[in-house]
Amino acid sequence: MRITNLLLTGGMAGAILLFFTAGAPAERIRKIDFKDTTLSNGLRVITVEDHSAPVVSLAVTYNVGSRNERKGRTGFAHLFEHMMFKGSENVGPGEHFVQIFTNGGSMNGTTNEDRTNYFETLPANQLDLAIFLEADRMRSLLITKENLDNQRHAVQEERRLGRDNQPYGKSRETLQELLYDNFAYKHSVIGSMEDLNAATVEDVKQFFKMYYAPSNAVVTLVGDFKTDEALVKVKKYFGDIPGQPSPPTVDMTEPEQKAERRTTVEDPLARLPQITVAYKATPGDTSDFYALQILSATLQSGQSSRLSQKLVKEKELVQSVFGFIAEHRGTGALYITATLQPGRKVEAVEATIYEVIESLKKEPIADWEFQKAKNASRYGFIRSMENSLTRAIMLGQYTVFYNNPDLINHRQDKVAAVKKEDVRRVANKYLNAANRTVVVTLPKMKMATAAVQQ
Amino acid sequence: MRLVVLERHTVPTFYMEMVVMSGGLSDPPTQRGLASFTASMLREGTTKRTSKEIAEQVDVLGASLSAGSGLSSFQTNVSASGLVENFDPTLEIFSDVIRNPVFPKDEWEKFKARTLAQWQLQRSQPMFLAQERFQRAAYGDHPAAFIMPPADSLKKVTRDDLLGFHKRHFQPGNAMLAIVGDVTLKDIQGKIEQAFGNWASLIGAGVPKTVIPPAPVPGAAKIFLIDRPASVQTVLQLGNLGITRTDPDYFPLLVMNRILGGGPAARLFLNLREDKGYTYGVGSFFSGSKFRGTWTAFSSVRTEVTDGAMHEFMVEFKRIRDVQVMPEELENAKRALIGSFAMVLERPEGLLQNVLTLKQYELPYDYWDTYPQSVEGVTAADVQRVAKKYVDLAHLQIVAVGDVSKIRSVMAKYGAVELYDADGNRIDAAGAKGQSE
Repeated sequence: MRITNLLLTGGMAGAILLFFTAGAPAERIRKIDFKDTTLSNGLRVITVEDHSAPVVSLAVTYNVGSRNERKGRTGFAHLFEHMMFKGSENVGPGEHFVQIFTNGGSMNGTTNEDRTNYFETLPANQLDLAIFLEADRMRSLLITKENLDNQRHAVQEERRLGRDNQPYGKSRETLQELLYDNFAYKHSVIGSMEDLNAATVEDVKQFFKMYYAPSNAVVTLVGDFKTDEALVKVKKYFGDIPGQPSPPTVDMTEPEQKAERRTTVEDPLARLPQITVAYKATPGDTSDFYALQILSATLQSGQSSRLSQKLVKEKELVQSVFGFIAEHRGTGALYITATLQPGRKVEAVEATIYEVIESLKKEPIADWEFQKAKNASRYGFIRSMENSLTRAIMLGQYTVFYNNPDLINHRQDKVAAVKKEDVRRVANKYLNAANRTVVVTLPKMKMATAAVQQ
Repeated sequence: MRLVVLERHTVPTFYMEMVVMSGGLSDPPTQRGLASFTASMLREGTTKRTSKEIAEQVDVLGASLSAGSGLSSFQTNVSASGLVENFDPTLEIFSDVIRNPVFPKDEWEKFKARTLAQWQLQRSQPMFLAQERFQRAAYGDHPAAFIMPPADSLKKVTRDDLLGFHKRHFQPGNAMLAIVGDVTLKDIQGKIEQAFGNWASLIGAGVPKTVIPPAPVPGAAKIFLIDRPASVQTVLQLGNLGITRTDPDYFPLLVMNRILGGGPAARLFLNLREDKGYTYGVGSFFSGSKFRGTWTAFSSVRTEVTDGAMHEFMVEFKRIRDVQVMPEELENAKRALIGSFAMVLERPEGLLQNVLTLKQYELPYDYWDTYPQSVEGVTAADVQRVAKKYVDLAHLQIVAVGDVSKIRSVMAKYGAVELYDADGNRIDAAGAKGQSE
């Protein structure tokens, strides 16, 4: 690090200038050179050398998510994810955490509808540790009733924390169940309490065998290593884990929606009404998906967005409005959520949302809106390229979702290829009454109980 | 105005932050939140741009622009980030909102209405309620007792008050600009000069010095219950006053906290979650300012195990106080802290934050260079000493937010109970009738 103290002249008289330099020499966003290898047991390994910082990130993405769950076992994919931290043949329960953290790293695991991933970032000299820990649990997960019960409790608390004890939590789950017909997406990732209670050790064993095979996973490694050496290590630890037959594919067909769906949720934890409107949309990495991203940015990203200006600033009907287009392997959705100001009518908010949406169908969006959406997308992408972990996660996701790790190098081109006319076209194609699902939350607060007054 | 530039050329982005060395601690007592409101209103209109124009221009650049100040902060932070190709126009808007805000009356009225609604929303969040009550319990009348300004204060503050605060405090001699990113000093020096070179004080007077009020003497241990009907979990927050940022106990406390509650490898997590299955998350945390900060432990547990969770908290608090930590646990914690410190340095904002902390607290110049040695020097005896001092059971303030009809008798086992509703009103018979805060 170089530090220079300078004194600027002129108008800045008296200013003290400290000047530091850190990091690698100038290096622009450039093509990510990855090596794509498949081991004999079916494990796909993608590696990216990056010597800009002495760290390494490893992600293991398994081709399984809540969409693979069956009726009566909702929440299982995520519950299983928790089991992956409870030990394996050579790693004690909870030791995974301790090993990663005491070696200066960070780690986590996440489950969504379409995939489950596990990842860690460590100082580069701990690459062996990262590979060993991931391989050991892929090979020899410790499955006991005690561990299952323990994590069942932890997951049920996660559900209470994120949904049952939160305002609008019930509404989010209700929306998911109403929006989809195909069971794959027609339930929450966290699952129901009953189904979590029903999960057995036998379920865990079967799930492990079926989905946690090397042939159903992608290992991505990004960081400060030599590719050949890293591959030798990956082969050493993962190479003799036996492959398994491919798991059954999930039918993701979603029947066409013919009419608007809506419901009202009374929420004892909410203080203000809220409305969420969701439109079924296209799977990710399609031209319509990228057009809907631009549309969503115009509609609801930032203070300049049409909904924010109209609902928050002009009409003062809501205190906030936000939303996004969800990227899924199957049918995605565009979500809009607005939380009202006190004393306003939900009907007025809803009518205004539709009015703004109609404007997108009639006229092309303005040049500045178009520019905004594209710049926001590019900035977000560039930021995500900044650290090795996000790159590892994205490579894993693109491989499992689309069998296309190279999407990391082309995704921004696909956004750039969207034309203004495409935005109007997808507005007309997807944002229609018959294609929407509406959930309105009305507060129904309980009074502080008289019973507590002694 | 002082300038800090940190070159970072890995990706073509930048982040800049103007630190104005006045914040919530400069609020007049009858106008708590004034610094925060002033900061939030900066982007709602300038002599050159309307609120809408600022929003559009910032968003078109793919940039972000935000400002804020805490109620007990000694500074206000305005930050912007974006693509380096848009550095010039972003800097222009950034300097405009810092130098020329006009706080339009209609925007101020709109801001007040939606802020009141946002505060309503926050009151439905149990963690907010726990934090709010805990700060009151720990700080009494100190500005840090408040995490949300009183609604009265928001209603009373006028546009003139905002203008006045801005004039008094947003002065070049009271500010420091820090920039990190894919820029070179050579390239931006002239631009910064153009944006801020002729920035002059609007009142020709010095900035009123920020008075740092000392934290109060800790009160006796007490239980605060907040009734949130329909809750299925109890949100627990336990702790008391900790240290100032420059206290010599900083490093021993850092290590002690890591062992007790700093993350998934810590005792609280391994016990309450991994062993007992009471919770999804549990841990402990401390912070220090120019006045004493707090040390707190926290968790959300299902209502039925509130008693068990309280028991385990107490077991762990007593254990860290009464029994010296084993060498391996100590070494693991120190290695983890040193390792994660190195990782922070890989993040540009993290490095910049370290530089700013150094300046704000006037820490020794080699503070960060010697950070690993400072951690390494902590002994098991140090850990026990600070545990006894800061895991202070005689003054432990305990807040529980949940279904009081189910947890009151459980909590009463741990001390005298004060009862509140979710609006902050004391509702037990012993409290003043209908007393509102």
